[in-house]
Amino acid sequence: MLASILASGLAVGAVYALIGITYNTMFSTSRVMSFTAGQLGMLGGVLGSLFILRLGLPMPVGLLATLACCALLGVVTEVVAVRPVLKSLDQHLYVLSTLAVALLIQHATALEWSTEPQPFPRLAGIGTGVWDEKYWLPVVACAATILGLEYLYRYTLVGRAFVAIAEDNFAARALGLPERNLRMASYALAGAVGALAGFAGGQLLLAFFANGPLLNFYGFIPVALGGLGNNRGAVIGGLLLGLFQQAANFMVGGIFSSVAVFTLFIIVLLARPQGMFGAPAARRV
Amino acid sequence: MAKLWPFLALLALALLLPLTGNEYWALIATRACIYWVLVAGLNLIVGFAGQLAIGYVALLAIGAYTASVLTAGTVMEPLPAFAALGIAAAAGAVAGVIVGLPALRLRTFYFAMTTLGFATIVTQITLAWQDVTGGGIGIPGPSLPAPMDTAWGFYYFCLGVAVVCTWATANLARSRFGRALVAIRDSEVAAEASGIAKPKLLAMVFLLAGALAAFAGGLFATLQTYITPDAFTFDLSLLFFIAVLIGGRGSILGPLLGTILLTLLPEVAAPLAAWSTFLYAALLLVIVLAIPGGIAALLDRSGRRALPEDRAIRPREAGLRTLIGERGERAVLSLKGIVLAFGGVRAIDGIDLDLRQGEVHGLIGPNGSGKTTTLNVISGYYRPQEGGMTLAGAELPAGRPAGRAGRGIARTFQTPRMIGEATVLENVMIGATVEGRAGFVEALLSLPRQRAEERAMADRARLALDAVGLGGLAEARADRLQHSELRFMEIARALMLRPEFLMLDEPAAGLSVEEIKRLGSLIRAISRQGVGVLLVEHHADLIFDICDRVTVLNLGRVLAAGTPAEIRVHKEVVSAYLGA
Amino acid sequence: MPITRRGLGLAAAATGLAMPAIAQNEPIKIGWLAAMTGPSSAPAIGFNRGVMYAAEAINAAGGVKGRKVEIITRDTQGDPTKAVNATQEMISQLRVHAIWGPTNSGESLAVTAIMARAKMPNIHPCVVDSLIDPAKYPNAFRIAPSNTQWDDAVRGYTLNIAKAKKVAVIGDTTGYGVTAANASAAAFQKDGAEVVTKANIDATQPDMTPDMLRARNAGAQAIVIWSVSTGMIARLLNTRAAMGWDVPFIGHPSLASGEIGTLIDKPANWEKVYAIGYKSCSYDASGKLPPRNEELMQRMQGKVNLHDTLLWWVACGIDAVELVAKAVEATGATANQSIIGHWNSLKQYPGYFGEYSFTAQDHNGYPVSDVVMSAASTGKNGTFALAPGYG
Repeated sequence: MLASILASGLAVGAVYALIGITYNTMFSTSRVMSFTAGQLGMLGGVLGSLFILRLGLPMPVGLLATLACCALLGVVTEVVAVRPVLKSLDQHLYVLSTLAVALLIQHATALEWSTEPQPFPRLAGIGTGVWDEKYWLPVVACAATILGLEYLYRYTLVGRAFVAIAEDNFAARALGLPERNLRMASYALAGAVGALAGFAGGQLLLAFFANGPLLNFYGFIPVALGGLGNNRGAVIGGLLLGLFQQAANFMVGGIFSSVAVFTLFIIVLLARPQGMFGAPAARRV
Repeated sequence: MAKLWPFLALLALALLLPLTGNEYWALIATRACIYWVLVAGLNLIVGFAGQLAIGYVALLAIGAYTASVLTAGTVMEPLPAFAALGIAAAAGAVAGVIVGLPALRLRTFYFAMTTLGFATIVTQITLAWQDVTGGGIGIPGPSLPAPMDTAWGFYYFCLGVAVVCTWATANLARSRFGRALVAIRDSEVAAEASGIAKPKLLAMVFLLAGALAAFAGGLFATLQTYITPDAFTFDLSLLFFIAVLIGGRGSILGPLLGTILLTLLPEVAAPLAAWSTFLYAALLLVIVLAIPGGIAALLDRSGRRALPEDRAIRPREAGLRTLIGERGERAVLSLKGIVLAFGGVRAIDGIDLDLRQGEVHGLIGPNGSGKTTTLNVISGYYRPQEGGMTLAGAELPAGRPAGRAGRGIARTFQTPRMIGEATVLENVMIGATVEGRAGFVEALLSLPRQRAEERAMADRARLALDAVGLGGLAEARADRLQHSELRFMEIARALMLRPEFLMLDEPAAGLSVEEIKRLGSLIRAISRQGVGVLLVEHHADLIFDICDRVTVLNLGRVLAAGTPAEIRVHKEVVSAYLGA
Repeated sequence: MPITRRGLGLAAAATGLAMPAIAQNEPIKIGWLAAMTGPSSAPAIGFNRGVMYAAEAINAAGGVKGRKVEIITRDTQGDPTKAVNATQEMISQLRVHAIWGPTNSGESLAVTAIMARAKMPNIHPCVVDSLIDPAKYPNAFRIAPSNTQWDDAVRGYTLNIAKAKKVAVIGDTTGYGVTAANASAAAFQKDGAEVVTKANIDATQPDMTPDMLRARNAGAQAIVIWSVSTGMIARLLNTRAAMGWDVPFIGHPSLASGEIGTLIDKPANWEKVYAIGYKSCSYDASGKLPPRNEELMQRMQGKVNLHDTLLWWVACGIDAVELVAKAVEATGATANQSIIGHWNSLKQYPGYFGEYSFTAQDHNGYPVSDVVMSAASTGKNGTFALAPGYG
């Protein structure tokens, strides 16, 4: 029983962590928290099922197509909902514009795909019981993503440019970095990461249009816990959340587990608004 | 009151509606009224205070269930409907504060998510607490006594409540509380410097909005006749939130129209029901991108009227005497051994400073020498690790920015902090917020003391604007002013306080030579009324022209202090800084 | 003066003639409150096929005494608020003669009192018991089983045919799931069975192993399911198979939903699952439905798609429209009282979904004996095989 709680907790935790990284990736270059993060995760499952089960594409092709579609959607989000409101960031219009795009995505999926959960294919067909692929795939995807991002940020030129923009937008622009292109690239990257979350967790969460808001919320908690922009914090926060949630599901039942999760979230956030690993707020004057 | 006619037109339409005799329209109009009761309160939170409360359906649910449970008698003897509605509003007020409290610590998106969390918790509790709430089966809503028990009777009642809410929130919006909320939204730092205590103010507004939302919830339960947890959907929560934002921030009419629009839209577009949320979202996106100011911005023509091209800032120092009065005894604000380090860097390394009333005290030094930091320590934004401050002999507590205005310490900022969407007059009136005596309820109901106070404040603000030379621009929107005008506007705002001490952070930056001359003369005149002025500046000429004393900082220490004449010939200053 | 008199006479004659003419040509307007889109739209889509089929059939045959049947549909999306608006619109604006629906209980609870106030003849298939109360709502009639009837059928099968004395009751975390699971568990206990676990599971919970292990460790001999979430049901079934456990699943009709077939790992996982079904829509060992519905299937061939829906939804939709039409035909009027009066007099009215009987005191028209359990995995054109153990 413990093994199964651990397996499913780590698995959903890894999905939440990946959505958290999606938030962070978009935030780093634009200072925008986008409501589309969860929808990208939802689409990862739906598109994966569409390409592999309905259209019969081989798994690797299906994965690439899913990532590409979501990356494209990320770019569209940047162009449509983020860029136009960046100049007035303090009015928080991005909350509305990204919320609108997220709703558009969700309802288009509901209408064109299905309002019932649809099956997601088995990918590798490896493992049974608690070692079933549906439990370890998200963890592997999460580990691969975090390693890949570390490599990107540390050892590649593009990655360092990302970091520069994230640290000081004005300075980076003054240095002549192509801020707009980098922002678009980061949204594409975020789209792919979100899609990977949904794809790797597809067998757990199924191809279901209503997964979006759910992932939005549970993916945000790791960000809040781990500190905004802190990917490692998001991974730790995500895994902890997954374990806590699955344990609570079992201990107090489905109704009170969400109450427990939200209550804990609000309390932790009030105690440490900058997250467990975040830096204190910057100077204001 | 030219802006009154849209409200009266809406009211006339609403009063004529029963002529249709169609109870379907009664239902839709009642629904719009009830939603507006909630949105009117939420508008103060989202539209005025800028707090992104997305999950306000939680409060609607709390009100609906409280009222229904109390009239259904599942926990105690059934109460009369109005008593239940009253208790629901009280419960909502408490819940409103609980839902809102995180706003004091959390930023935008974070706060939005916590309100969503609350919405989920409330729904789950209504589901699980079956003995009281009926769980998934739900519970009948309260039924009101005659004559409110018919469709039209109930409609008139809800319309009446909606009218009262419109009136009261409009009163509040036009009071110092409304201005303070907008100040918190657009310029929290300036709000603090003007003595606006964010926690207290927000708590009051959350209290009010919670009560209104829960009252609306009780009416909602009556309208629905029966409530189940699935009536309180996220879509409904979005409707409230979006109604405020497509209506436009800082407006009453805009969100009112937004609420009516969003309530009507699905009815008109019934054949498109499947696509309705999709269309909502598309509409939201278009509005955000095309008219970010919302309906209010579309309606606001005065904001587009051209300002005179050839205007100039001509301070009228004569007005200062009536504005800030004379000071008898001259007090001293003094700093002793202040040390402030950021990480390993000692930004201020043991500074002593005495500011005297009636004098202009210049603070100069190279970039990074600690000038602005010193100013921020005095105004409470930074808490020094060592040293102390006294004001007229009494201790001045460190690190309490909102307490400074009450002690007569006013300031301006390096980059002018203003509320772009408010008029210049309103911006200036914010400076006198701490002086308001009329309470929150008086403001809501626009009682005589409140009205008298408002008039006095507006008069004083005009006086202040005249004094700094912006008299002609009182009604212009602040974001249409030029940079130099904003600097003078900030001074006017600071003067509203009738300050004992006034701290100016590089007021001459970006001003023309002529304007600097007028600024200098204005500052001088202010100090002659007995105000102690601390002037942080780079323009050495201005400093030496108008200062009675000058302190030179370097690397966080006092390099030299004395009269301008002494400083001018101070060796180290000359070699290190003046570079002559 | 004569002119005036003649004028008056003519006018009187004209009105006298015109009145019945209008009534005769005016269509019979049936309001249809359907959750056609949104998360729980499958039943309404099925009902709707029956509704449209019946209306077309009646109109093709010349209508009811020359009056066409007009179906006015409003999509409520399962949202009680939208249902309230649509109901009031049908009553005050569209002035329908009868309302069919809503099709889920949350909406129905919200609109029942509103319809009662307008004395609007209303038929619906919603299960919540309190929806039917001839004293409070003399206008509302149910042509499907109530929750208690469902519950009785499930409990009867579990205790008497599956012979399980220790049961685990599982619902989801929606309003329906919580309430139904509570009621079911209480009834089992009253009948002397042991409820070893009662759980409300979040339908999105990715792994059901802990809950299933808990049920097995507690010695459950049957799992009773109250949920419309196909995803959750499929996860439970897959978990049961992974545990190598052969406990029977008994419960809500959704257990037989076609969606489940696509979500389970292998077809065998759907064995030993018994969902609420209906005699009228169940086929026997030779694959035949009751004759009346066998004939209906023939007629609907090629006109109504039954592959992705259930026959009882379609049949129930047909019955609803015909009940209104028959009431108008029998009384010759579309006034509220005459329709309601006619329904109150129905005795064993032969519908396709069941034989309905109403009296002024009892508006639960569906016969209890027609509620049976069917083998969930045997779906064929929306019909099912009876579960094992029936005579």
